[in-house]
Amino acid sequence: MSERVAIVGVGWAGFRPSTPYQSYKELMYEAAVRAYADAGVDPRRDIETFVTVSEDFHEGTSIFDEYTPDQLGGALKPVHTIGGDGLHGLATGYMLVRTGRFSLVTVEAHSKASNILTLPYITAYAQDPVLNRPLRLNPEYIAGLEMHRYLYETDTTPEQCAAVVVKNKRNALLNPLASFAADLTLDEVLNGPPVAWPLGRHEVAPLADGAVVMVLASEEKARLLTDKPVWIRGIGWCNGPASLESRDWADAPHIREAARLAYRQAGIRDPFQEIDFAEVDDTYAFKELQHLEALGICLPGEAGLLTEQGATEPDGEFPVNVSGGSLGVGHLLDGTGLARALEVVLQLRGEAGPRQLEDVEVGLVQSWRGVPTTSGVVAVLSN
Amino acid sequence: MTLLERDPNAPVFWKGNMPVTSRYTFGLAGERFFRAIKDEGRILGTRCPECDITYVPATLFCERCMAELTEWVDAGEIGEVHTYTLLFEDMDGNRLPEPEIVAFVRLGDGGLVHRLGEVELDELYIGMNVEPVFKPAAERTGSILDILYFRPVD
Ligand SMILES: [Zn+2]
Repeated sequence: MSERVAIVGVGWAGFRPSTPYQSYKELMYEAAVRAYADAGVDPRRDIETFVTVSEDFHEGTSIFDEYTPDQLGGALKPVHTIGGDGLHGLATGYMLVRTGRFSLVTVEAHSKASNILTLPYITAYAQDPVLNRPLRLNPEYIAGLEMHRYLYETDTTPEQCAAVVVKNKRNALLNPLASFAADLTLDEVLNGPPVAWPLGRHEVAPLADGAVVMVLASEEKARLLTDKPVWIRGIGWCNGPASLESRDWADAPHIREAARLAYRQAGIRDPFQEIDFAEVDDTYAFKELQHLEALGICLPGEAGLLTEQGATEPDGEFPVNVSGGSLGVGHLLDGTGLARALEVVLQLRGEAGPRQLEDVEVGLVQSWRGVPTTSGVVAVLSN
Repeated sequence: MTLLERDPNAPVFWKGNMPVTSRYTFGLAGERFFRAIKDEGRILGTRCPECDITYVPATLFCERCMAELTEWVDAGEIGEVHTYTLLFEDMDGNRLPEPEIVAFVRLGDGGLVHRLGEVELDELYIGMNVEPVFKPAAERTGSILDILYFRPVD
């Protein structure tokens, strides 16, 4: 049996700051229909099992199984509803194909952020109930604490973090799915209002609504369905010490380890040389830099320099977040990782329109579940 | 959005909330940790001799080697500002009149997230020594809020 797993269909819906006319089920439905058309499959007949990623409290519901299979065509089929980021769903779908029991799997993740009225309170519930939560602090303080220690240990500058914002929001100008494209100057970013100094408002990805659906297939099935399969060559995930009391405030060891697992599986030894471009988590601007370093693209303290020198621009040596990232596209909560993966798929298929990179064969995608977590996923995709 | 407000067919929404009320038991080590704050104004940790790590707050087990920890230690009265931030927004996203200074204070190999007080911003730095300011003993309840804040040590 072949061990290869391919992405053979992608679909999306929403990608707007708010979607008042659509329910999240309709967003999922719209994305699913597109993905099935793209893959050339009939979901009721062909898809064998379904994975949905969601966080109950983001939905204002409990037990999300009760809300998920119908709009994906998954009723009376095996369904997993898992908590995590969208890429955790991709990893789960990958494993389901690798069991040999399933040759076609649907993976879905979404955000209806515009319906959430008390997000900081929900996020606060992910902190220790008696050590942290009684302080009643907006959870963005955790990003501020991490950023300050990251700058301190790596000598990265606020200007280098701001350069990430300028780059990603400018990249987003070429992406019709991006809600927060802008042509800003470094000074405009640096002089914006502070949220949790040294973290500024412009350095925080704004939220958006949207759904992403992907169809995964075994190699045998992929060959029948498409001449543009995108292969999942390696995928790894990892959780760091989660508590605020024992985490590393400057580094992202969970991403380092997730990358090691993904690279080992994909046979990648030198990611900077062997990978052509990356979509990485930029929920906060400094995270793009910290994550690039944890991914082994460069050494700690170098990602800011690379960014300043233009190496991560679309025409640079190692383009990062050509899509605009979450800073430019909008943050899709649990759907963010799949949104990053969507861009990698489009680039590898040569379907990225005016922002298409030339001659790309191997792409990297990385996700992080946001504060206060230390949960991350890394995948290597190729055409 | 004004366009929506004028549109008689604009979508309605249903507001909801979740009535979640719960208990949390902090466990054997956590109880003892808070009791020491309440009764003695002391911050306790536990040591893993195998890994040479002092956990603060005290835990019952070592997350590195999974050993049960039985050696209790006083984490001392002085910690170090490991990182800090100026928080400008409250839980509802509203601008605070004055930013709050929030720090991770290193104690042993762990530490505590807490507010800083009695400190001038231009004197504050990573690596600064700070000490906890406790509520008067009679007012303490065995909570993280028994520590009012940390302040610089002269
Ligand atoms: Zn140990």
